[in-house]
Amino acid sequence: MKDIVKIEVLNNGIAHLRMQDEEHKNTFSDDFVDAVIAGLDKLENEHNPKVCILSGLPDVFSGGADKQNLMDLCDGKIHVKDLLISERIVNTPFPIIAAMEGHAVGGGLIMAVCSDMVVAARESRYGVVFMNMGFTPGIGCTELLANLVGPFIANEMMYTGKCYKGKELAEKGIQINYIVPKAEVPAKAENIALQISEKSVKSISLLKHALSAKKKQQLITARVQEDFMHRLSFGFPETRKTIEEHYGK
Amino acid sequence: MDKEQIYAVVKKYILENLEDLQDSDIDPQKSMKDYGANSLDIIEVVSCSMRELKIKIPRSELADIKTIDELADKFLANMSAEANQ
Repeated sequence: MKDIVKIEVLNNGIAHLRMQDEEHKNTFSDDFVDAVIAGLDKLENEHNPKVCILSGLPDVFSGGADKQNLMDLCDGKIHVKDLLISERIVNTPFPIIAAMEGHAVGGGLIMAVCSDMVVAARESRYGVVFMNMGFTPGIGCTELLANLVGPFIANEMMYTGKCYKGKELAEKGIQINYIVPKAEVPAKAENIALQISEKSVKSISLLKHALSAKKKQQLITARVQEDFMHRLSFGFPETRKTIEEHYGK
Repeated sequence: MDKEQIYAVVKKYILENLEDLQDSDIDPQKSMKDYGANSLDIIEVVSCSMRELKIKIPRSELADIKTIDELADKFLANMSAEANQ
């Protein structure tokens, strides 16, 4: 069986973290969350890269929430693990480029939002579907999504739960760095990484620290308000039924 | 509304959501997957169609549908059942 996460570090300081849980489509199971965090820990502690490209499977960057974790929340078990990925990405000392060839849904899209640069595919779909399942957005979404798509598009994405094609988002003129044909996503991300790799690793780290300060603050705010909303919305009797329906029994 | 009209609605959203597809390319006996649709594309086509047709069918009841024609049949049956209530 393949590892959930594969790490590769090149001599020029470019790291690549590939999320490759084909069986579960990179959804946020406990194992997945642990593997991504361990991967970033390993990069930081053992390799000190200049930049990291974060990518997923060709069809799915990340599918977001795992059904079991959502049911645990319905049962009143506190589960804040998903926010750990957001925090880990924001707290790396090196910039992260999210290279999203495939779809990114819910927490999957928030991983990109927490990254420093984002490359998306015109053909793939991106959205936050929390409200489709009856509960309020989490994982920092309420604070951070607006950074990527602007506050009003973020509102529309959160309220409607619609998954937009990359080309629709491109037409909306949002902040994603590049929205290119799917086949061009890896090369575009590698090109950005190559430019960064020419810079001083110490200055890169300083800049990352400064530029991520706002996101760190946003995550703290998000944790408070999203946890509060989750305590209420996962307790609504209809939420469990809607989640069951969404995933299929 | 008859099945032809329902099919026209579904086809409109297929053309809107799938790449490089012409009206004449669509064979109702085929699946959207045959035209390159992935699961999120299919959800979008089905959701938009149901919204326009003013019907709501749980996802679990749609899971076994294989072709565009079967989808139109399912919508028609739901609309007929609603009308008879």
